Amino acid sequence: MTKLSRSGLTKMQAAMIAAVVAVVAIGGFWYYVSIGSSGKIPLKVFCAGSLTLPFEDIEEQFEADHTNVDVQLEPGGSVTCVQKITDVGEECDVLASADYTLIPSMMMTPDSNYTDWYIIFAVNRMTIAYTNNSRYADEINSTNWFHILRRSDVKWGFSNPNMDPCGYRSPMVLQLAEFAYGDTMIFEDLIEANSDITVSESNGTYVIDTNMTDLNPTERLKIREKSVDLIAYVQEGGLDYAFEYSSVAKQHGLRFLELPESIDLSSETYRDTYATVKVRKTTTVSTGKPIVYGLTISNNAPNPNLAEEFVRYIVSDFGQGIFRDNAQPPVVPALTNDIDKVPESLKAYVIES
Amino acid sequence: MSIASALRAAKRQSLSLIFLVIGAVLVLFTILTLINMIFRQIVLEPEGLLEAASDPEVTKSILLTLYASLLATLIAMILGTPLAYVLARHDFPGKSIVESIIDVPVIIPHSVAGIALYALFMSRSPVGKAFSSVGIIFEDGLWGIVVAMLFVSAPFYVNAAREGFQSVNPRLDRVARTLGASQWKAFYRITLPLAIRHLFSGAIMAWARGISEFGAVIMIAFYPMIAPILIFYKFTTHGLKAAQPIAVLLILICLVVFIALRTSSKYWERRK
Repeated sequence: MTKLSRSGLTKMQAAMIAAVVAVVAIGGFWYYVSIGSSGKIPLKVFCAGSLTLPFEDIEEQFEADHTNVDVQLEPGGSVTCVQKITDVGEECDVLASADYTLIPSMMMTPDSNYTDWYIIFAVNRMTIAYTNNSRYADEINSTNWFHILRRSDVKWGFSNPNMDPCGYRSPMVLQLAEFAYGDTMIFEDLIEANSDITVSESNGTYVIDTNMTDLNPTERLKIREKSVDLIAYVQEGGLDYAFEYSSVAKQHGLRFLELPESIDLSSETYRDTYATVKVRKTTTVSTGKPIVYGLTISNNAPNPNLAEEFVRYIVSDFGQGIFRDNAQPPVVPALTNDIDKVPESLKAYVIES
Repeated sequence: MSIASALRAAKRQSLSLIFLVIGAVLVLFTILTLINMIFRQIVLEPEGLLEAASDPEVTKSILLTLYASLLATLIAMILGTPLAYVLARHDFPGKSIVESIIDVPVIIPHSVAGIALYALFMSRSPVGKAFSSVGIIFEDGLWGIVVAMLFVSAPFYVNAAREGFQSVNPRLDRVARTLGASQWKAFYRITLPLAIRHLFSGAIMAWARGISEFGAVIMIAFYPMIAPILIFYKFTTHGLKAAQPIAVLLILICLVVFIALRTSSKYWERRK
């Protein structure tokens, strides 16, 4: 034991602690001043989890062109993103959702009036993602996947239908698959046998019921908040297959199936087919329709001009190229609900649909 | 008492007074944050709170949270007490490395901890397989919640217990042994009783830390839903109005439990 000084620490110990604190403090301060965001304008972007990677690419270019701006992406479930604005009262500059209809239904109502326009800028398709290590990876293809998922040693997952649009679209795909493949047991074998989710049919419309807090999945089925969360489980090998957007699968370097357009929710051609399936969630009912990304700038955006500029990057040739690279086909030209309400600087990039 | 003597008294006590004022800022900060939320709920929307309290889904998840964290704390005590004793009483090469490793869970982001725990305990891993053969399931199961809580709360217990053992003079232990007590008996009759209050308060902290854990648990066990995950879920699906009453209920229950535990630990001290 070393001799104790009066303070209870030896001088040596005190000096070492002081040195560590000083190094961290000075280093941190230097970093904060030189590289950190001090003095920069924060541009808050709430985006669907599935938009994270393309938006990071756009952020990089945007910050290179606007060195005084710090773009702050906050990815989350699309519903969560909107609720952060409408319920919590957080301020956000750009909101981009994986389901454009959330904007009119949650932000353009009389008692929740945050904007009066939106822009449709990209689409996506549902797929099943996996890796080379997934069980039966060498066997699965777009015509036999529902047989593979039925096998008792296969684990698969999708995101929570009540929390993430990709989540309610996954059981839709399985219901639509029954028509496409002429196999009426797909939904029952995969969803009903593995969770408390049910489906009922009346007059040719199928209503899937996910209106419960505990979906009670079996150990073969994993349900998580966002579809992106499932990627880690697939990569770790704990899960073989996950329902994902093709963009997410591609961006994370996973293999994925090309599902028929009549079930993958990507094509305008099959709008009527998709609409035969509905999901009753805890809050609302969602009807099957093509996956269309929408964005808007909230009325309370702290930096509306920069927000417009950021949106311009998204809908320009530059943004379209990035979305193509990320397996998220851009809508060219972008569409809007009301060309008169769209900010002036963006009018040249959109047409009213 | 004259004014002059009061001033003199104040001057003598000036350090205490100034520290009191400064310290009050920190307490106020905590109180304001919580009171703002709790009072708005109780005063403006008491029915929301009653509704949450009578919802079996909510009470089930709060009980699950308290129970899982209790299990994690008990495991931390069973495994952590011997570790803390060794660290307090013995020097060995690499001791500071061991002490640093114990603290690592406090530092790393808990979602990272969650992924690491998942990779180790998932049903398909060797560890997960071994445990599932005796019926212990981690993935989306109670024991997944427990290991996640254990990972983040163990440091609080081990550190408190180590300080407790360090506060006991080793000579007392040696005296007992010269009087014929075995090493076990000396530990059980002398060291443990003298350190018990530290162990107890460490256990309270560990329990509390387990209850509050979210990031690590959600990775390995989304279901069954512990209260922090249920609150997050309600917020995501139904918004703040649905989430806040559950949060307030959890705070109130924990507050009552902790005040009771701290009071009993004080009583314990006085009796000694």
